[in-house]
Amino acid sequence: MPSDDAKPSPIDVLALARQAGLDKAATEFPEDVVAAAEAAAQAQRACAGGGQPTDEPWPPMRARTMS
Amino acid sequence: MSDAHWLTATEISAAYAARHLSPLELVRALLDRIAALDPRIHAFIKVDAEAALDAAGLAEREIIAGRARGPLHGVPVGIKDIIDVAGLPTTCHSKLLLDHVAAADAEVTARLRAAGAIILGKLALHEFAIGGPAFDLPFPPARNPWNTSHHPGGSSSGSGAALAAGLVPLALGTDTGGSVRNPAGACGVVGLKPTYGLVSRRGVFPLAFTLDHVGPMARSVGDVAVLLDILAGHDPADPGSVATASRPFGEDLGRGVRGLRIGFVRHFHETDLTADPEIAAALDEAARVFEAEGAHIRTVTLPSLREFSGVQRVIMLAESWAIHAGWLRERPGDYSASSRRKLMSGAFLSAGDYVSAQQRRSALIGAVDDVFRDVDALLCASAMDPACRIEDAEAVARTYPRQARNPFNLTGHPALAMMGGLSRAGLPLPVQLVGRSHDEVTLLRVAAAFERATAWHQRRAPI
Repeated sequence: MPSDDAKPSPIDVLALARQAGLDKAATEFPEDVVAAAEAAAQAQRACAGGGQPTDEPWPPMRARTMS
Repeated sequence: MSDAHWLTATEISAAYAARHLSPLELVRALLDRIAALDPRIHAFIKVDAEAALDAAGLAEREIIAGRARGPLHGVPVGIKDIIDVAGLPTTCHSKLLLDHVAAADAEVTARLRAAGAIILGKLALHEFAIGGPAFDLPFPPARNPWNTSHHPGGSSSGSGAALAAGLVPLALGTDTGGSVRNPAGACGVVGLKPTYGLVSRRGVFPLAFTLDHVGPMARSVGDVAVLLDILAGHDPADPGSVATASRPFGEDLGRGVRGLRIGFVRHFHETDLTADPEIAAALDEAARVFEAEGAHIRTVTLPSLREFSGVQRVIMLAESWAIHAGWLRERPGDYSASSRRKLMSGAFLSAGDYVSAQQRRSALIGAVDDVFRDVDALLCASAMDPACRIEDAEAVARTYPRQARNPFNLTGHPALAMMGGLSRAGLPLPVQLVGRSHDEVTLLRVAAAFERATAWHQRRAPI
């Protein structure tokens, strides 16, 4: 498992960004693209584990009323 | 009437009924105050003076003729510029939407108009309700009236700043990760994120569909209740909207908290994050106040902030990417740098990440509901720090994520931020109260008891 400090390689990030259609951003704002990928990786790590893959995710949001 | 700009909506309505004040007098006074102060506060993106004066004239004629429409008749309100007002631009504080004029009112705007409220104008925000205070946008960021070199919180920054500066008595904000409660706390006013689905989001530019809420903001708990009475209600055009029993949200405001059980979520600000000592002291003092008023305080444990924040961020980043991907691909330079960085993050998440986060969310909602079996409300931190200096980008980046608001966007529970003290530097210190889903009545009751006992709401920004 990667550590909390593990950062994706900028070269890999820019390649992924281009796959996502962010060619323009990768060319004009490469630091922002790398920062965005790092933020995504942090969120993934903070969210990882704990759930059951068969848990029902639907509906995505419905506040429950307690009896 | 002097100082009419500091009246609450409730006081304005009473003053109209007693003929001590008229809607035209009030709107003119507020327009004068905006002209004098807003060049320093930057709360407004657009002041709609002509339409406001027309609406004030109409309200005045109706009230004189005995055709009063209720407690918001003739009361001015400011609208966050992410919410549609027909005929006015909805810019979302962004270059990308500078020329976008709303064709129709959002549901909340229509409800305000039907109640006779006067739309005074559109209020500043963080770009698309996500970026942060930015200086590379078409409009300057709003500033904190308690000290204009400080951040007013966000993303509903203009809403909080306009209320604290006495530019409007009521405002609307939106809240996806705390954007009503952050400026309410930073500016020393009251902001409520209602239960998910209670207030329609139709006509509001989305940030993240399953986290977005529209919320009332005001200078008193009573005004928040009155505004929520108008805003709440089922809207079949909003798929997240729910039908609930009609009940005045302020009906228990005077009941006090004697006998209520309030859970104090200490680990949010003591171990999950370490709050600034003045914030921690304000929370301890709030617990003491509730106890003195007769409530039973008990320490409760929720899942950690790290867990809530991780799940909330994955969902928010994935959903906002879906909305902004086209513009980010074609016009990345038209965003502020801070928005661009945040909004592009979703490109690096997978569909599986999103579904997993939604699965985790359900368990987190259940965990909070479980705690509410033993308590009637929660007390916890909102921000972990007083508002920092707005031009200190490093301080903004460091303090902005240090918060305990986003858990309740994830779970949908109603949550309110209000002033719980003043720092030595003269900046408001926020506290957050949380209620059971669809029990805004009790949440507002608890907040009103705190307001009466402390009277922080009577303090004014020295502007």
